[in-house]
Amino acid sequence: MSCRKKGGESVPQLPERKVGLIACSGEDLPEGTVSRRAALLVLERLRPSATVTLCLPLFLAGEERERAFARFYPTIAIDGCEKRCAARATEMYSARPAVSLVVSDLADSLRLARPRRLRGSDAAGEALARAVADEVARQVDGLLAGRRETAAVRQSDPTGVETEAAEAVCTCVSGIPAASVVVGDQTVELLALPAIFALFREEGKSPDNSATADELMQQIKLYNAVAAEDENALREAVADEYARFWAQTAPAIGQ
Amino acid sequence: MSGEDRVIIIPCSGIGKAFGSVGREAAYVVTEELRPDCTETVCLSLLTLGDEDARRRVRKHPTITIDGCPAACARVNVEQAGAAPAATFRVFDVFRQHKELRVRSVSDIGKAGEEMARILATDVAAKVDELQKERR
Repeated sequence: MSCRKKGGESVPQLPERKVGLIACSGEDLPEGTVSRRAALLVLERLRPSATVTLCLPLFLAGEERERAFARFYPTIAIDGCEKRCAARATEMYSARPAVSLVVSDLADSLRLARPRRLRGSDAAGEALARAVADEVARQVDGLLAGRRETAAVRQSDPTGVETEAAEAVCTCVSGIPAASVVVGDQTVELLALPAIFALFREEGKSPDNSATADELMQQIKLYNAVAAEDENALREAVADEYARFWAQTAPAIGQ
Repeated sequence: MSGEDRVIIIPCSGIGKAFGSVGREAAYVVTEELRPDCTETVCLSLLTLGDEDARRRVRKHPTITIDGCPAACARVNVEQAGAAPAATFRVFDVFRQHKELRVRSVSDIGKAGEEMARILATDVAAKVDELQKERR
């Protein structure tokens, strides 16, 4: 879906999708520390290749890259308390999290002792962090499995079932903006390209700057699989397309 | 000391960088070990989401921020809450002075990270004392 050539031969594979984990990391309650510990356990031990983290304070401070990730990929919010700062922030600035977990609720439902320490982990905190991490890992597997099932339906059923399946199984990837660029004699569709161009335009990154093309490619590769042998040609095509976009949008933005 | 006189310590707690963990640890060294009677912390995410009680606390009390990266999320978010931090600290500044201290990772800052946190916490505690003197 993200980087395929239309009317051409074989296409680059989709990147393995990842799930974003957003922990509240609340400093003023032990469950906040547990949320952080649980997220790190998943990121580093349980599902290292399937997850990335989004830094909540940076997310809240307006870091567009973090917000963009959460717009395009499923996220799991891990909150320490019922105030649900991570879930609320994700919904407010990007999109509703695919899963929202609250450490205190999980502790109650699993009948695990509440932690007492803010700093580091006591035995109760460590046990709870592991339980939360297990649940997060389970949810990660479910989200990624749902996405794979959706992709299978899309390929095998051209009768219209695909849309229903995609929405029912995983709505978090529907509506991702994509755009095409022409590379040689082929058209390549790139996921998130309109948003990336808009962001670069807002940031005043001129196509005349030689570094801009490299930066564009860095962003594009976050959302699209690009084969090494295709990269140079794609960079040129993207740079040309961005120059056109820049020229078209200049009067409206006043630059 | 009453809650009215406390200094608030807010680390960024950035989860993507080891220095974020060092900043968080430094904040706890201050609030739990070095100056437990006159400092406290506030959840940064709660503050940034506009929680009225958290905003009131940072406006009312002197607030010290500790940041782990140049984005300075703790400082920026305290400012956005309508408060001016009484002091701002950066983990990187400690690292610049102690380049022998190599922090291990986000989840385990290691001995070097703990030492870095303690150095930073000592500086923060000194600033807390200074602020307390000014208020007397």
